[in-house]
Amino acid sequence: MQNIGKKHRKTLLQRWKGEKELWFWTLLFIAFWVLFFLMPIYGITYAFFDYTPGRQLSWSRFVGLKHFQAFFKSRDTIKIIRNTLVLSGLNMTVGFVMPIILALMLDELRQGTFKKVVQTISYLPYFISWVVVASLAISLLNSEGVVNEVLIKTGLAEKPVPFLTEGRYFWGLRTFLDIWKGLGWNTILYMSAIAGIDQSLYEAGAVDGITRWGSVKYITLPSIMPTIVLLFILSIGSLLNLGYEQNLLLGQPTTQDYWEIIDTYVYRYGIQKGRYSFSIAISLMKSVIGLVLVFSANSLAKRHSDYSIM
Amino acid sequence: MKKANYLKRTTSGTIFDICNVTLLVIMSFLFVYPFWNQFIVSLNDGVDATRGGLYFWPRQFTFGNYLYIFRTTGMLDALGWSVLRVVVGTLTKLLCTGMLAYVTTVKHFSFHLGLRRMFLITMYVGGGMIPTYLWFIKLGLLETFHVYWIPGLLSAYEMMIIASYIEGLPDSMFESARIDGAREITTYLRICIPLCVPVFAALGIMVAVGHWNSWFDVVVYNPSGKYDTLQIVLRNILIQSDKVAKLMSDATVGSAAVKSAAARISTVSMRAATMMIVTLPIIVVYPFFQKYFIKGISIGAVKG
Repeated sequence: MQNIGKKHRKTLLQRWKGEKELWFWTLLFIAFWVLFFLMPIYGITYAFFDYTPGRQLSWSRFVGLKHFQAFFKSRDTIKIIRNTLVLSGLNMTVGFVMPIILALMLDELRQGTFKKVVQTISYLPYFISWVVVASLAISLLNSEGVVNEVLIKTGLAEKPVPFLTEGRYFWGLRTFLDIWKGLGWNTILYMSAIAGIDQSLYEAGAVDGITRWGSVKYITLPSIMPTIVLLFILSIGSLLNLGYEQNLLLGQPTTQDYWEIIDTYVYRYGIQKGRYSFSIAISLMKSVIGLVLVFSANSLAKRHSDYSIM
Repeated sequence: MKKANYLKRTTSGTIFDICNVTLLVIMSFLFVYPFWNQFIVSLNDGVDATRGGLYFWPRQFTFGNYLYIFRTTGMLDALGWSVLRVVVGTLTKLLCTGMLAYVTTVKHFSFHLGLRRMFLITMYVGGGMIPTYLWFIKLGLLETFHVYWIPGLLSAYEMMIIASYIEGLPDSMFESARIDGAREITTYLRICIPLCVPVFAALGIMVAVGHWNSWFDVVVYNPSGKYDTLQIVLRNILIQSDKVAKLMSDATVGSAAVKSAAARISTVSMRAATMMIVTLPIIVVYPFFQKYFIKGISIGAVKG
């Protein structure tokens, strides 16, 4: 193009003229960015003060690391960190493997109505809100719910199983619901990876007399391994962001020892109890660790494949 | 075409198929049955439902639960706010984030990559729940309807997806508009948006579902209950059986029709009916948008 050569000779004024309208829009976007991104980040500094709402920050007392120390002295700390790690650990293991299994199972079906119906059904829960999923769980699993009814009728249980009111069931309950909701949806990436496998591999396998099970084990699974590894690495980055709506919706006072995670703790202390500075300090620590995890996951992923977040 | 055609049919292969299909049928049942169970409970007489034993079909069929709910619990208000939120939130977000995405793809604009990076950062760093909450108080966004849509006007994830879609379009379409002297906003509205309909549809569905399903932000930003959405109403009915009892006793002063309906209502059936009202719109539109979201996630997967 002719203006490639000219580009370098353009004066600043000329550039400005050509970009005037674009800069107008950009300034609007930057204003939004400052208002809804930068200002909340500035608010993190409250973690180092004793902040009371309605007062200027400069009038609040600077307390340094007091709130950080208070968190580590608190008796709740170990419990919260344990719950966070256990729940995200379950998500990264059981919750990670299940979609792979489902994707492999779906791939073994012949193209047709059955496959389509199963896929359609399995995606559906992803679009249902956590409020509804929690309501379903509560309606079906409470002591008079249909699950307990069937368990008692078939003699599998003598009295209703307290799925919702006893803490030791909570980890399993939440992990089950997480999987239930996301299982189908999480197969989509694996399905598209499977669709990209070179069909001649199966042809060659057939010549060598491979069995159905063998074709899954020695062809399909190794072929999607790069996708699996990449998604696993990336899931490390969101290790601490495991979702808290579920816990707030399913948790009950009696099971709190098992459902309280960092995010729900921040919410309860910050918004419900008004201890703003304290809860900002906790979420700041979480964010810093989270950021380290994201970037280590990203650099790992980059080494592993060409994937990059930026 | 498909690999199964290459492999020989063997007995072990058939057993494999049978196990596979059986497991998938069981799994599908686990996905569908909870909805079906609550659906039939919602269509069953409330008092009768408390006896239990409802598995596959209503025992005493009635629409009474739905009629009762719509008449008494402010469900219509909540439905109104939910619909308004979905419509306003989705349209404004697509329009504004689309413009942002468009600007970040204008190659001759010296700041287009800078702008994109500024928004990309927001995906990884942020103020967090409490600073955002305190700042929204200062902005006067608390206890308003606007808190549902204004903070979401521009978002990095949608920007990336729309931008990568625009970059896949032929550059000449935009260049010719510029040579004709069209302003950028005109180019965006008249050329970019019509070309981006597929990606807007895919994202619009996801954004709309997100708005419809949103619960936590209502709890945090609108605690007074003035702008309660359907999700909140459902949650309230679920956790406050005493509130339901109160509603029922309130209803006894109402008309004879309401009174007789109230006598047949129970927490179990009311909960189920509300759940269905919240879920049905999604289940009804779901088959139509299914083809869009598969497209949507595969766009997102590239740079997600």
